[in-house]
Amino acid sequence: MADQQTNDDTVAMTRWQLNGQEVESPTGMTIMEAAKEHGIEIPCFCYHPGLSIAGNCRICMVESNRSRKPVISCSEKIAEGLEIETESELAVSSRNSVMEFQLINHPLDCPVCDKAGECTLQDHSYKHGPDRSRFVEDKNIRHTKELGPSISIWGNRCIVCTRCIRFCDEISGTSELCIVERGDRSVVDVFPEIPIDNQLAGNTVDICPVGALISHDFKYEARVWNMDRKDSVCGGCSRGCNVEVETLDGFVKRLMPRENLEVNDWWMCDEGRYGWRHLYADDRLSQATRDGAALADVSATAALEQLLCESGPVAFLIDPYLTCEEMHLVQGLAASRPGSSVGGWLPEDGNAANFPSGFTISAAKYPNRAGAELIFGDQVFGDDAKELQKSLVSSDFTTVVAFCGGHLSSGPGESWAKSLSSTPTSIIFSVKNGPWLEGASLVLPATAPIEKDGTWINEDGRLQRTRSCWSPGTEPFSVELVRLQTLQNALGIRGRSLSAAGIFRELAATHDSFAGHNHSDLGSPGLLLSQRPAGIAMDGGSE
Amino acid sequence: MANHSDASEENQKRKTATSDPREKATYAVPVAKGLINTLKHILRNEPNTIHYPDEKRTPYPGYRGEHRLKRDELGREKCVACFMCSTACPAHCIEIVAEEAPWDDREKRPRLFNIDMMRCIYCGMCEEACPCDAIELTPVFNIPARTRAEKIYDKDKLLSL
Repeated sequence: MADQQTNDDTVAMTRWQLNGQEVESPTGMTIMEAAKEHGIEIPCFCYHPGLSIAGNCRICMVESNRSRKPVISCSEKIAEGLEIETESELAVSSRNSVMEFQLINHPLDCPVCDKAGECTLQDHSYKHGPDRSRFVEDKNIRHTKELGPSISIWGNRCIVCTRCIRFCDEISGTSELCIVERGDRSVVDVFPEIPIDNQLAGNTVDICPVGALISHDFKYEARVWNMDRKDSVCGGCSRGCNVEVETLDGFVKRLMPRENLEVNDWWMCDEGRYGWRHLYADDRLSQATRDGAALADVSATAALEQLLCESGPVAFLIDPYLTCEEMHLVQGLAASRPGSSVGGWLPEDGNAANFPSGFTISAAKYPNRAGAELIFGDQVFGDDAKELQKSLVSSDFTTVVAFCGGHLSSGPGESWAKSLSSTPTSIIFSVKNGPWLEGASLVLPATAPIEKDGTWINEDGRLQRTRSCWSPGTEPFSVELVRLQTLQNALGIRGRSLSAAGIFRELAATHDSFAGHNHSDLGSPGLLLSQRPAGIAMDGGSE
Repeated sequence: MANHSDASEENQKRKTATSDPREKATYAVPVAKGLINTLKHILRNEPNTIHYPDEKRTPYPGYRGEHRLKRDELGREKCVACFMCSTACPAHCIEIVAEEAPWDDREKRPRLFNIDMMRCIYCGMCEEACPCDAIELTPVFNIPARTRAEKIYDKDKLLSL
């Protein structure tokens, strides 16, 4: 992935002047990046840290002592003795003129534009733009059309920054987009009969600085300033892309990638991006049932307690969607019932993809296999699982607790479903309705990946914190973390219920691999666990 | 400490100021004027109240009463569902859900436009914020209802007013 920033003292520094102040920055940095490090934000449209530098929007012009004309700070590098003025008369007037030009053909339809509120043009216009237009001629009309199955373009809004085009060239490597026409008529388009349909296409909408590219999924759905945001991690595959879940009145409206240079840079795949729709699919389970009869949420927890208190050894069937915290609770339960056994089921592998930029989509369509193998041992999805299935078929256990999570997965296979239904008492946590629920004694609704609060370990062995898209108190049913703790309380192996962070502290205290870690020092890039489970390759991380 | 002593000095000054007999006397004239005015009204013996609801007072221009949504010259709602009114609303009483407009010249329109009249404080900020001049506060002030549900005005009701 992205180059790791080295903080050695050996980095060569360049002395230069920024707004009259003598400053030092690492040699080779552009003026824009270096100024940002010193707290001066230079406006930009076409510059994106993840893409090559185009230098075509000209809004980032600053005054330099090395040039009679203003220079563009996104591509100009700092140099010894360079003097840069960002607020001089020349710099301000060129910035304002560029802004006025950008707005000449812009339709100013902010009230109906979905980008309004997070639009760079809006922000810069507010700060640097004129308060009225001097343009009295007719504005150019450019095309509004569908570019692909999930993206449309509003040509009038386009400022031709070419971020989307560079994205398709450099990151996805599919090159579907291009600029057509010349001068003020130029606009982004696709080649005839080749729609933009790559697995990363949704990112072009995120990086569009204006509302030219609009995702069909989010069109007219909400105004961005009304939404609540939670920093989460995508559970769509074991890559664990960092995402921001945006909700309106408790309902997920969209997922946006969150910058993490160690995992996903600035991007995410469309499968993960649009996967949240399955949360509200018809086959989503939201009602607890006991022997087929609906059960109130509180009674469901009581029923779970009753069934477990009466039982002998219990078989636990876990899935790779559980967070490390939930797994720790399952482990605690298994340890409290002597003779219990734990195994796991794995969803079928999907398609993997590698992109020229280094962005990868994993074939393992689940977030926490590595965590399960760390907590329950390497063989939890291998030999342990086989043995568990054998003993379930031969009815060695009278009680089984199964977790069938994953709103995107097709659930545990037929053989698991058969062995679950052959057990006299089967307690199943499930996200979706499915054949595996047949004959279950107690069915409990379960949380899908983005509804979970806790930590996952991705395929690189990176421990990442994910937050629930629900606000506390608005959960439609008790989450597993609460139910399992209530159960542990009833069984007498726990004194009080804790938050995910509290459970993680317990996990860190009992498990060597997690020792010394806690939620608060995971930070945004996550932590590479020093001790990795077998089967996961070591990489060059320094943690 | 210093602040405290400053404050007490200030208090002391104020006390001496109000206890000045000449200052007290200055109140006497306006009070007397006011009382004369009162006396005039008593002697005039005309009621200042009206027999509502038999008589109705015409509200002054700019009076902020019941809301309505306006229509354009083709009879379509002017509203483009931009959410500016609900964003500006200090009482959060406007609920909008947008949809794609079926017309060529318009992209967006409200599928749902509800105003909770019980929650509304009739401040007129929605009217102020509207970029399309689509919502307005009419001078209608007598808007009783028998149920709470009736006080939640939907799009059809707002357009019919």
